[in-house]
Amino acid sequence: MIRHFDRPLFFAVLLLCGIGIAMTYSATSTNVALTDYWQRQLFFTILGAIALVTAALFDYRHLELLAQPSYFLLMVSLVAVYFVGEVKNGAQRWLNLGIDVQPTEAGKFLLIVFFAWYLSRFQDRIRRLPYLLGAVILLLFPLVLVYVQPDLGMTVTLAFISGTLILINGVRLTHIFLGVAATAAAWPILRGTLQDYMLRRIEVFLDPGSNVDAAFSVRQALISIGNGGWLGLGWAEGTQNRLHFLRVRHTDFIFSVIAEELGFIGTVLVLMLLFFVIWRLVRIADLAQDQFGRLITFGVASLIFFQTFINVGMNLAILPVTGMTLPFLSYGGSSLVSMMVAVGLAQSVVMRHRKMDFA
Amino acid sequence: MDERAVRTATTTSIVVRLTLAATFLVFCFRLYSLQIVSGESYQEQAAVNRLREIDTYAPRGVIYDRNGEILARNRPSFVIAVTPADLPADDLNTDIDEQRIALERLLAVLEANTDPEMAIRIAEVMFLHLGREDFRNTVESAGFSLSFRLIDVEVIELDDEGREVVKVEPTLIPDFSEPLPIGGLLALLERAVAHGTQGSSYKPISVLELVDRERAFQVAEETYQLRGVHVLQKPVREYPYRELAGHVLGFLGPIPKLAAENYKERGYEDPNEPVGLNGLEYEYQDSLRGLPGKRLVEVDILGRESRTVNIVREPEPGLNLSLSLDIRLQEVMHNALARQLEETGAPHGVALAMDPRNGAMLGLVSLPSFDNNIFSEGLGAEYKALEVEDDTRRPLYNYAIGGLYPPGSTFKLVSATAALAENVITPYTTLVDRGPIYLPNFFFPDDPTQAQEFVSWNHKLNILHGSMTIVEGLGLSNDIFFYYLGGGYPDFMVGLGSERLAKWMRLFGYGETTGVDLPGEVRPIVPDEQWKRLELAESWTTGDSYNMAIGQGYVLGTPMQVLVSTAAVANGGYLVKPQFVQEMVDAQNQLQWQYEPVIKERVPVDPGLLAFVQKGMWHAVNGNYGTSPNSRVDGITVAGKTGTAEFCAYDPEIQDCTDRDHEGNLPFHAWYTAYAPYEDPEIVVTVFVYSGGEGSAVAIPVAQETLHAWFHDLRP
Repeated sequence: MIRHFDRPLFFAVLLLCGIGIAMTYSATSTNVALTDYWQRQLFFTILGAIALVTAALFDYRHLELLAQPSYFLLMVSLVAVYFVGEVKNGAQRWLNLGIDVQPTEAGKFLLIVFFAWYLSRFQDRIRRLPYLLGAVILLLFPLVLVYVQPDLGMTVTLAFISGTLILINGVRLTHIFLGVAATAAAWPILRGTLQDYMLRRIEVFLDPGSNVDAAFSVRQALISIGNGGWLGLGWAEGTQNRLHFLRVRHTDFIFSVIAEELGFIGTVLVLMLLFFVIWRLVRIADLAQDQFGRLITFGVASLIFFQTFINVGMNLAILPVTGMTLPFLSYGGSSLVSMMVAVGLAQSVVMRHRKMDFA
Repeated sequence: MDERAVRTATTTSIVVRLTLAATFLVFCFRLYSLQIVSGESYQEQAAVNRLREIDTYAPRGVIYDRNGEILARNRPSFVIAVTPADLPADDLNTDIDEQRIALERLLAVLEANTDPEMAIRIAEVMFLHLGREDFRNTVESAGFSLSFRLIDVEVIELDDEGREVVKVEPTLIPDFSEPLPIGGLLALLERAVAHGTQGSSYKPISVLELVDRERAFQVAEETYQLRGVHVLQKPVREYPYRELAGHVLGFLGPIPKLAAENYKERGYEDPNEPVGLNGLEYEYQDSLRGLPGKRLVEVDILGRESRTVNIVREPEPGLNLSLSLDIRLQEVMHNALARQLEETGAPHGVALAMDPRNGAMLGLVSLPSFDNNIFSEGLGAEYKALEVEDDTRRPLYNYAIGGLYPPGSTFKLVSATAALAENVITPYTTLVDRGPIYLPNFFFPDDPTQAQEFVSWNHKLNILHGSMTIVEGLGLSNDIFFYYLGGGYPDFMVGLGSERLAKWMRLFGYGETTGVDLPGEVRPIVPDEQWKRLELAESWTTGDSYNMAIGQGYVLGTPMQVLVSTAAVANGGYLVKPQFVQEMVDAQNQLQWQYEPVIKERVPVDPGLLAFVQKGMWHAVNGNYGTSPNSRVDGITVAGKTGTAEFCAYDPEIQDCTDRDHEGNLPFHAWYTAYAPYEDPEIVVTVFVYSGGEGSAVAIPVAQETLHAWFHDLRP
């Protein structure tokens, strides 16, 4: 079993985490209040690695039993947030359980597990509309609750992951068209509910002059990236980074720090590592011995892919500004540990891909 | 899995992998375009972001007197300031306000709660930070009351053509005689910090200025654990002799708003840079300033300097000025004049001393004077400067070059020279004072009751001077003699007349400014027939010539012009330009500039004839019945001329001149102008006392003491 533990994947993830620690140091060393952030990131990496191995050792098939409770737990916590959640920066996303917890962070996994179970359980019947509609409706409940927090980024993430799982599990083309038509019909209503900040982000993306503040962040990110050239300015030497022209350097815009300090070559290598991780996850999905495992791994892969895509796209100014972090590289304990757990789940799947293993 | 599922799975995994590869390639392509294709442009923008050229001030030039005494220098001084960004922020989860506590501790360290003077100084700084409105609102909303008073602030500003214009602005300022309670100060401080947070919160906000070294170190020690409190260095211009040479030296202040454009064109980039606003500080601003250095620094997004990348240009210290002024002589003149003003109750006066050979100014006193330190002593003291400007006697005004007065009998030097040069009289012509003379009325020449009476000062004392030549005429200052010179008398002699009087007045420099190297000099008019017709729509009369010949009527001049005209008599007819700065020396003590005396046109009079005017001045001091024997100095021959000039300060309320005596006579300005030694003049002194009365009584002692000090105590 241990034989099938995906070592290239594991080391690629650890390497990314190492780069993340180094870049966190570079992005925070010039701010007195944040100087210990790289140590925290190191601590979370170690914690994450332990969580990864623990998740790998845990047999993912037991999760099938937890699928329904997962969904229930997710809904309960989201409803709780709705009524008694903590408000920060104008959004009600946190539950105070001694420390503030954001249920949607774990919600991604709960939803992956639940949909992996639902779709694999009804795999032979999913081509029938009622089962598909059931999946869509079960998805809509949590989505609406997250959307009203408001948290557009998380809503889109959850929709993307669940959508990917539904598509990968197999859908009739006509049903896809139906879905697209339904969304198009609902758009005018949806649009009215978009929060101001969401609209502004879209606006800013389409017309960077309209919001000076956000446009400034994106502009400074582009300058940072361009400032890197072929080889970069060197670690902890990026002027845009060091002199704070780049905002939220250690989280949303860590990619720009990498680009400025490691240059084109270094950044392409980092991107290659990220895509290698996703590639390995897709390979695991192909090897999975059952549909449940396959869908879980695809869920993990789509989660990592989606966050990478949105974050890098934002840094490169080909997507609007959202507060989404870059997996393994951005500073942030809960995000890092949850990503490592996700990779651990995939490891659990690949370790058990042979039904019988006598070796 | 069935076959279809396997096929779907294979298709899916191919589609997924293709998507991954495509995304990766798009990202790489975009990266390439940003980093490689447009890299250079972005690198330039990054450089624009982080690099700034910063001016570093050069030390301002020092001003020395003729003996090397320092008259103006730069003193290190300290400012206690808070940086809003570094202050502890108010943690909203606690009930206490952390920022308020920090500011409270700072005020306690500065002893604002126990020392009323400290509280007043801090309040003054806050007033200048916040402005009147905000200051009042803040204090009142903190629950304290505040009284205000209105004062006139007089500022010299540059107009479009770069000339100085005096503007008066009525200004309300709070009455600081009572210190604010600590709560009020705290509210002000919080308000100022809140303002700072809106701009660049890394810019320090001064709390207390002009802190001396010892106190600064003490505060620094006590505040080292107070986050956000800094002790900054800021040089202050210092004038060790305080009000002694206030008008000569002038003072510094931030660039006046109206002249901002003008200064900008001259390379003054910081609108708050202190520049000379008056006196030599103004006149020699560019030389004293030197050349600010330039540094290329790296700044962060908030404009904080992180390091110096490159020193583009080292600052070049300003040039040091060496004056011909002797501060010890200045002190003698100042004290003597101040004493005379106090004794007579005269509102203001002037004393001037100059070397007649080259125009080198030895002293200039205009009273009331002011202590120019109060202008340079930073923000808090600027408030005191307002009080100086509030004085109705206008201490900021330099009466020596800015005041126009009838020169009275001192003008007889001009009429006498003119009459001799124009052959109206010879040096030996005698004219007789038989008492008042009467000019027949132009329209009723045969009616003696309508004739205009002209008296000499001595007639009031029942003295007749009898017959005299020009020498006695000057020595006794007989007015009848000069009436005849100025206007002649029907059927008896032809006088100079308006045109020739005006011509000689111009020749003695009255039509022009003297060109002294100080700002604010006024230029009087020279009255003649055309002028009177245009201004007053009247024709010139013989009586006008009479009055003009004795320096009354329409004749006006500044004390500086009287000084220059006296010098022209003393030095044999040369009109010199008065000049304070003789040399400019750079920081390496290398001579950079030396004054070449400017001798303007020589007054076209035969030196042999001019000698009789000199003799007349000698007679006034040393001859029988001379007007000014009191100006004699032991061992030195002094020559002088008194002046007692009637003036009319018209008051529209009473529709008459103010200060008439009980007989209705007008008040007098007292003048005395003299030079010594008679044989080989090396100093000219002119004294003027506004409404001082008899010249001999009030002005002579000042001149005498000045000359005595020069020849017996000071002369090298």
